This record gives sequence, structure tokens and C-alpha cells, in this order.
Amino acid sequence: MKKKIVSVLLATAMVASLLVGCGGISSNKSDSSGSTGDAKASGDAIRIVNGKIEIDKQLKAFAKDYEERTGQAVSIESLGGGVDIQGTLKGYKAADNMPDLFVIGGDGDFANWGDYVADLGDCEWASQTDFAYKDESGTVVGFPYAVEGYGITYNADVLKEAGVDPASLTSYDAYKTAFETIEAKKDELGLTAVCSVAAESGQMYWSTGNHLFGYYLTGGLERDDTSVFDDMMNGKYDEDRLGEFADFFSLLCQYSDKQTLISGTYDDQLALFAQGKSAFITEGNWIDPSLPDYDATFDCGIAPLAFTKSEMTSILADSPSWWCAYKDSKNLDAVKAFLDDLATSEEGQKCLVTDCGMISPYTTCTVEPETPLARSLKTYVDDGKTSSWEWSNMPEGIAQKATGVVFESYAKGDIDKAGFISTLETAINDYTAQAQ
Amino acid sequence: MKTKKPMAIGLLILGIVSILLALYLDVTNLQLSYNLTAKTSFSINGMLLIIGALLVIVGMYTFPTRKHKKIINILFLFPLLFSFAVTVLVPFGFGIFYSMTDWNGIDFNKFVGIANYVTMFKSADYLYSLLITVIFTVVNMILVNFAAFALALLCTSKVKGKSFYQAAYFLPNLIGGIVLGYVWQFIFNKVFTTVIAGSDSMLTDPNLAMVAILIVSTWQYAGYIMMIYLTGLTSVPKDVLEAANVDGANSWTTLLKIKVPMIANTFTICIFLTLVNSFKQFDLNLAITNGAPARVLGEKIIQSTEFLALNIYNTAIGKNQYALGQTKAVVFFVILAAVSLTQVSISKKREVEM
Repeated sequence: MKKKIVSVLLATAMVASLLVGCGGISSNKSDSSGSTGDAKASGDAIRIVNGKIEIDKQLKAFAKDYEERTGQAVSIESLGGGVDIQGTLKGYKAADNMPDLFVIGGDGDFANWGDYVADLGDCEWASQTDFAYKDESGTVVGFPYAVEGYGITYNADVLKEAGVDPASLTSYDAYKTAFETIEAKKDELGLTAVCSVAAESGQMYWSTGNHLFGYYLTGGLERDDTSVFDDMMNGKYDEDRLGEFADFFSLLCQYSDKQTLISGTYDDQLALFAQGKSAFITEGNWIDPSLPDYDATFDCGIAPLAFTKSEMTSILADSPSWWCAYKDSKNLDAVKAFLDDLATSEEGQKCLVTDCGMISPYTTCTVEPETPLARSLKTYVDDGKTSSWEWSNMPEGIAQKATGVVFESYAKGDIDKAGFISTLETAINDYTAQAQ
Repeated sequence: MKTKKPMAIGLLILGIVSILLALYLDVTNLQLSYNLTAKTSFSINGMLLIIGALLVIVGMYTFPTRKHKKIINILFLFPLLFSFAVTVLVPFGFGIFYSMTDWNGIDFNKFVGIANYVTMFKSADYLYSLLITVIFTVVNMILVNFAAFALALLCTSKVKGKSFYQAAYFLPNLIGGIVLGYVWQFIFNKVFTTVIAGSDSMLTDPNLAMVAILIVSTWQYAGYIMMIYLTGLTSVPKDVLEAANVDGANSWTTLLKIKVPMIANTFTICIFLTLVNSFKQFDLNLAITNGAPARVLGEKIIQSTEFLALNIYNTAIGKNQYALGQTKAVVFFVILAAVSLTQVSISKKREVEM
């Protein structure tokens, strides 16, 4: 009998512990405005999933500062460096653990999250930028935190020594002449190659299939001109434009370091340029923070990837990703207040521009960037000489699975110009048909 | 005694009903909650599930039958069975289910039946991946086993410093595949092209890139398989070998007629391991080539070294087609299970019983 009592007691204890553990009391807090005085419990902190791990430290510093100023705790969770961000977010969604703010990279991601984002149109910052993410009906749903731009980045010191004016690099012929001039003086300039281009399809597909090809889509066009992109999605191509683009890519390959071109990684490509061994690189202002690692002391700037015979004076610049607010977040008002502060306050501008080394997408921003490529990019943004990143709206994975290999084959010389154009068109058509 | 049975059955039914109710509520996203105060409420979904489970357990325990002991055995196994079900069986079931929907990783809108399977077998990149994975698996299996067996023979011979060799051969296996892959990528891209000046990297030619992955894979895995062969070879009884020696068998005959048949079960294990592992090759593939280089096939250009596992990963993650990726994973499982079970059953027949 005694035994039975013991077992009953044990069973009761087990049941009780199960109930306590799994029952869970969920609390619905009603007050969540951001500006109230006292510091709140961590359960009320705004949780942000940031997709740009490079600025993790700076954002955390800003979050701490923000908490001191307003009492609203903010926790930053940075993903990146090879982590599949969207996959992680999907996991959070499945586990009912969505952050208040999360990152999206364009139409492809937005298609997944469209039902779950909040309208941010009434925020103060929304009217101060051209770079916000808008859904199909024009509602502002994505918070831009940076503008990134790319084209052909040049080593200004080398160009000066070779007697090439960077401002003249606005057409195919100008580039051809410049490349020839520098090629002739390669030894005295200490270069191993004129250009640093990487076209290997396994790891550099994003550079060729996304970035370079992006110039075909919007290079030289007005910011809202998506005609070439729309045509492409319908299987139509501007043959002349694509032909000029093919010629220009071929020119780049011809003057590029061969090993870097066909087997180089991002590090190889960057090292060649940063060590002063090449005059040009097909990357953008994101290489700014990496240049000091190579003790690069030269001045540099961004020129348009002007593949056309006619003049092209604008570069491709846009917000690389946006923060969206989760619709069911309990902290929505606090989130909006935080975003306003990050975009418009002096501390916020300093965080984005000075600390993170980015360009602020906000017209009201008065803080000037300090790194060379950011400064170069800012002149284009200020002059309105930018075209949009329509490539980020291509079907997901197209560069990796379809177009990257075409660029690689063309770079290696496996196919000629006509082959490049026809296979590129087939690859894109097949891919878009399959994706829809 | 007579009242016990209906009571047990009642408990069982009540338990099952509450479990089903809890699951139904969960699937339909309804929250049954009990408001304790204005600010805190009590969600009883989870509790319902647990109470249901407990009722089922109590019902089974009190069920009067002659198989009482068996039921108790099952109850004691329950924690293990439960975790196995939650971590393996349920996800597997979900996987098969998702492969028949248009799931995008977040939610799905409709049931599409076998449409994903049709798409999959129609897509050229998948069929190509399947083909090269099979080629890779066969070649890699042969290479690894030959290399491993040779190394094992070396390490059981009378050579000096055996334990050093054993450790040295085993070492590559201790390095993670991704690290190893990037190190070897550097070797192929930089070291080889410098040693043979003016040559292009092996990784830029579709066929040579495949050879490159084979080299690294063999180098990494042979040491591990060698250890298993080593254990097999040392377990061959000395008296049998001595008898063979007395009978005048030379070392070659001893190897083929005595050692190999004696360790046939080791071969089964090794071939099974290499077969499965080669087929599932992912990390080296990702780190060394990530699918590159390009191979021109007439009007189309495809990635030449994208094995099945990488293809599945890229489909789900890269192309954001989770359902199609899941479909490929299901087929991947079926192929793998079929091939390895066949292999084991064939090899088993050749084993010598001691």
C-alpha cells in the first residue's frame, strides 16, 4: 500500500511539472509606446533581425544609446556571413517567434512575407527618402537603412599617373581607350592587370549574374524606368543593348587578370585591386571597409559601368535590403518611433553614416560620409545620377542557377558573343517560365 | 473487475479526443484561453494535449488484459518512442506531405498532388545532378575502399612507425569538410597553378573539377575507412594465418584466400558507409566548387558539379522553392534507402560465419 502512495505522489509531481512547464502564461501587454520613461523588462524590447552582420557592433551601440535616451530597450540579432537569413526567419515564423523588425532583400522575399508586414507609411522618415520599399499598391512597408551603389570602381592614383580622367569614363569607347592606355603602361604603374573581374559561377555568380547584368536592366535609365526589365520578364530583349553589354563584358574579361577571372573568389578579386595591382574592379562601395585591411592608401571612386556607345553618366544605387515591421508585433508603435529616431535624429544619422560607413537614404541627413567610395557614391546620389536596382526583383536564385554559368562560359571563351546572347536569353526564359 | 474495463476505455477515448482537439486547435490556429486577470490569460491548448496524453497512458495502464506486462513495457519505452517520433517520424511525415503542396517555407496555399514530382523529373538540372551523383558515388566508393584497404594493409605490415602512419592517415577526417574544402580550393586555385606555371586551375574544367572533388573526398575519407579495415584485419585469427603459412601460401594468396573472405563483413560495412556518404556528399561540394564550373551542353549551359544534396539545398534555399526541394529530398531518401538496402543484402550473403 505504501508503495502505491509513493507512486501516486510521484505521478502527481510529474503531471504537475508537465503542466507548469508546458502550460505557459502568455501575457498581453497593452502599453507599448516607445517614449515612456522607465526602462522596461526585456520582454518588451524591440527585437530586430539585421541581415548585415558588418554593422552589428555599430547598431548595438546605437541601441544602447537609444535605450539610455528613451528607456526603450532594443535587441539586435544579426545574421549573415553565410547564414541563410530568410530560412532562419521562416524558422522563427514556424516557431511563432517572429522579431518585430526583420530584413527583406527585394520582391522575391516580399512575396513570402507580404501578408505579414505592417504599413509604415505614417512614419516621419517615409516622406524623406526615395529608397523605401513599397508594395504593389504603393504603401511604404520597408525601411531603408543604407544606399549602396556600384559600377566600375577605379584606383584614382593609378588613373592620374596614367593620364586618364575618371570623369571621362562614360562610354564603351572611353573605357576601351582608357584600358589600352593603362595596359601600355602596366609595368611602370606596377599593375599585374588592368581590371579585376571574377566570373566563376560557383561563388561569384552574384557579381556577374546580378550586379553586372543589372546594368543591362537599368544602366543609364531613369530611376522609375523598368521597361528593359519588364520586357525581359516577358521574354523580350533589346538586342542592340544586350549586344553592347556583351561587347563590354568581353572587353572587361580581355583586360582582366585571367586566373582571377576564371577561378578567383571575392577575396582574390578584392586583393588584386586593394593591393594596387589592378586599376579597376567591378564592385561597389561595400568594399570600403575592407580596403584598410590591405593597407590601401590610394584614393578611389566609382564610375558608371558605361557599356553603351552613347553617354552613360549614372550608376546603379539602391537600398540593398529593407527592414519590415511584423504586422502582429505588440511593439508596433515603439518600432516606428525607433525607426524615426534612427533615420532622422543626429545620433541615428551618425550611426548609419559615420559608424557604419554607409550612405544615408534620407534627404534630411546632414552627416557626411568619410570613406572614399561612400563619398564618391554620395555625389551621384546628390546629383540624382542613379538608376534603380531592378536586378534584385529578378526571380530568386536566377544568377546562381541560370545566368552565372553563362557569364563564366563567356569569360572562359567557351562561347562567342552570339552564343552568349542566345544562351543568356534561353536561360532567363526557361528560368522565369519555371519560376512562375 | 467489470467496472474497470469501461472506465479504462472511457479514459482512452477521452484522452484521444482531447489530443485530437488540441491538435485541431493548433492546426486551425485557434487559441482557447482562459482569462485569469485582465492582463494575463491562460492558453490551454498545450495543457489539453498533455492531459490527453496522460489520460491515454492511465487508460492503457488500467486496461484489464492478459498483455498487461507488454503494455507496461511500451509505457516505459514511451519517452524514447516519443522523442524518436517527434524528431524523426513526424518531420519525415511532414516532409512527404509538404512535397505535395506549394509550401514556401512559411505556409502553403494549395495541395498540388504529384505535380512537384512531375516537375522534378522533367527538370534537366535535377537529372544531370542525379547522373553525376551516381557516377561520383561509384567512382568514389571504389577509390576510397581501394585506398583505405591498401593503407590498412600497410599499417598491419611490419613497417616501422605504424601508429604514426595510422594517425596521419586518419587526421584529414578530423578536419571539417567546409574548412577542408576551402583549403583544397586554395590548393587547386593557387598552389597547383603556381607549381605548374601557366596552367589553369583544375576547378575551371568541368571534368577535372569532378576529379578534384574525388581526390579530396578520397583523401578525407580513406583514413576513416582504413581504421575499420584495420580492426578487421587484426581480428583475423593468427592460427589460421600460421596454418596458411605452413601450407606454403604466399602473402598474395593469404590475402585473397584467407584475409579477404575472413573480413567480408568489414567490407559490407565499409562499402555501405562509403556508398551512403558519397551519395550524400554536400560539404566538400559546397566548399570546393559550389556547382561551378559551367558546362556547355548545346544550347544550354549548366553547373557541372552540382551533386544531388547541393541541388536540393539550392532548390529550397537559393530558388526559394521549398516544396520542390522537399520533393527532391523525399526521392533522395527513397533512392538512398533502396540502394543501400540492396547492397547490404547482397554483401551479407558473401560473409563467412566464424
